[in-house]
Amino acid sequence: MSGGLPCSAALVAAASGLSASPGATVIGMAVPGVPYNTLVVACGVAAVGCAAGVVGSLALLRKRPLVGDAAAHATLAGVAGAFLLTGRRDLVSLLTGALVAALVGLGALVLVRRVTRTRDDAATAIVIGGGFGLGIALVSGITARGIPGGGGLEHFLLGHAAALTADDARLLMAVSAAAIALVVLALKEFTLVAFDASFAAATGWPVVLLDQALVTLVAVMVVVGLPAAGAVLVTALIVIPPVAARQWTDRVGTLVALAGGCGAAAALAGVIVTSTRPGLPTGPVIVLAAACFCLVSVVASPRRGWLGRTLRNAAERRAWAAGLLLDTCLRASERGDGTFTVADVTDGRTARAAWRMLEHEGLVERLHGRTADGSVPRDAWRLSGRGLDRARQRRRRAADWAAAFDRAPAAARERFSLELPECAIATDADATRAT
Amino acid sequence: MTDSATPSAAGDRPVPLVEFHDVTVAYGRRPVLWNVDLVIDAPCLFGIIGPNGAGKSTLLKAALGLVPLVGGRVRFAGEPLARARHTIGYVPQRESVDWDFPVSAFDVVLMGTYGRLGWFRRPGPAERASARDCLARVGLADVADRQIGRLSGGQQQRVFLARALAQEAAIYLLDEPMAGVDARSQEQIFDVLASLRAAGRLVVVVHHDLRTAAEWFDRVALIDMRLVAAGPTATVLTPDNLRRTYSGQVELLREVGLAVAERGRTS
Repeated sequence: MSGGLPCSAALVAAASGLSASPGATVIGMAVPGVPYNTLVVACGVAAVGCAAGVVGSLALLRKRPLVGDAAAHATLAGVAGAFLLTGRRDLVSLLTGALVAALVGLGALVLVRRVTRTRDDAATAIVIGGGFGLGIALVSGITARGIPGGGGLEHFLLGHAAALTADDARLLMAVSAAAIALVVLALKEFTLVAFDASFAAATGWPVVLLDQALVTLVAVMVVVGLPAAGAVLVTALIVIPPVAARQWTDRVGTLVALAGGCGAAAALAGVIVTSTRPGLPTGPVIVLAAACFCLVSVVASPRRGWLGRTLRNAAERRAWAAGLLLDTCLRASERGDGTFTVADVTDGRTARAAWRMLEHEGLVERLHGRTADGSVPRDAWRLSGRGLDRARQRRRRAADWAAAFDRAPAAARERFSLELPECAIATDADATRAT
Repeated sequence: MTDSATPSAAGDRPVPLVEFHDVTVAYGRRPVLWNVDLVIDAPCLFGIIGPNGAGKSTLLKAALGLVPLVGGRVRFAGEPLARARHTIGYVPQRESVDWDFPVSAFDVVLMGTYGRLGWFRRPGPAERASARDCLARVGLADVADRQIGRLSGGQQQRVFLARALAQEAAIYLLDEPMAGVDARSQEQIFDVLASLRAAGRLVVVVHHDLRTAAEWFDRVALIDMRLVAAGPTATVLTPDNLRRTYSGQVELLREVGLAVAERGRTS
């Protein structure tokens, strides 16, 4: 494994595209027009992004998204420690050190929780702070003392994807593939424990062992994510893609696949953007790309998204208002000669919007010609034939409901909770039922 | 009553289906269950009744190894838990899981088959057919593909029951299956439990509602940290026993007394 990660020559070469070697197949593929180094980096980083999303999905489902953060912040100390102990600075040695430190950090997390009876979030903060402080102190010390070969360790702070060699990329791909394979193999078991740990335990599954396996997988993904995103940002690769994916699906399998795809896409986007804009750091751009996917998902996904929910709520409220106004119209028309004015039945802004809906649907109609006493009122309306049918139907149903509630309140509530009353606009009612 | 119980290897005396022997559970210094001795001989609908915080749920969890015993032991047909797990179906409290989890009702019921599938094997056509069948038995065939959060409370509880059915167990342990459930779902759940009893299964239900307890269960145990009384419902739910279990909740006791008396007249 030659060529260290923080190698300025490689960085310059990658940034300027000078190292493009047409036809090179060191990683088994070549894309015309793409600098070789960019391709290497893209493959390695995309694999890591994909696996981080896949493993992160399980961490999210198990409600432990931040466990990776404790591991991540401990890794820097491991990188520095590995360098000080072995004097080597190849990726395998440094990442091995990082993995050991990550697992020690997770052990410390369990210990802090148990011994001090500190809550989860506070314990995580303690481990993050302690581990990170140690890591920064070690790296600064190495740099300040000018220990030979010690320069560039600080790149593990924010990641330095451009410096990846073909061998490095192969390592990242192999580890990522193994992590994904493990998740796919034990998806049934991980899902069971994440959904209902006590049922899993009651039926004989080793919950603690499966949790430890999951946490270890997270630690491994944090470590191989270091070259891409660095200790500070790597958690984002674990947490953000699953959150984005969750917006689009209600199936665990689809969630895992989408999160993997989102992670890979964000990683590719980051590499492509930074390879064409020298000077931009890869890690932060990858995380920004993932955050963009997440933002779009949280806003725009049809079922869980903010936009869809807001529109549906508004449609439901409009349908309610229109239905209630129709009731009012029926009562008003029964009081007199079957006609009423807009002012008789509407009161306030919502009611006027609902009135426009009734008018648009042709449920109310303006009276033409004379009334019984021979005068022609300027603003006289009545329910149309269809409007009258609809209003009477609503009244019958309301009576049915009231009777059902009197008989058995709980059962009645259950039966009716998913249905709005016969809405003025059918599509709104359908949208309600669909949710 | 004892004919369907498994005969012991030692002799002709039948081995009880479930046996709690001096079970003691403590959280810190506070005892939750203290020397509970309870034997359930034969298949029936068995209610575990007691006030809030009496340790009813803890008794089930202790039986399933979910909370550690500080003393005593539990046997299932004479076997320790480790060898009896596959014969036990479990319905936890509905509040114990996150209903926003991305699984459908069908997926949850399928989890009941995982125990016999073992490591890494995926459910096949047989398991899927069994899960569909169990969903139909609790009346939820038409919402099989719905995400569980979009089910009503009663439907969610029935999904849990269907998952336990999919375990194809001999002994069913249910933790408050009627809590927060509408009347229609309660009836449906009770019908399923009665059908399990008819099929020769033992159904143990932790239950909080004394009024329905009197009419539903063949046998009950009254628990308030210790075992107050256990046996046939009519002989156990006496004013005296209830007073010892529910010290202080007098009004409730009076109503239940009436319900029990009425049941005594009709049966």
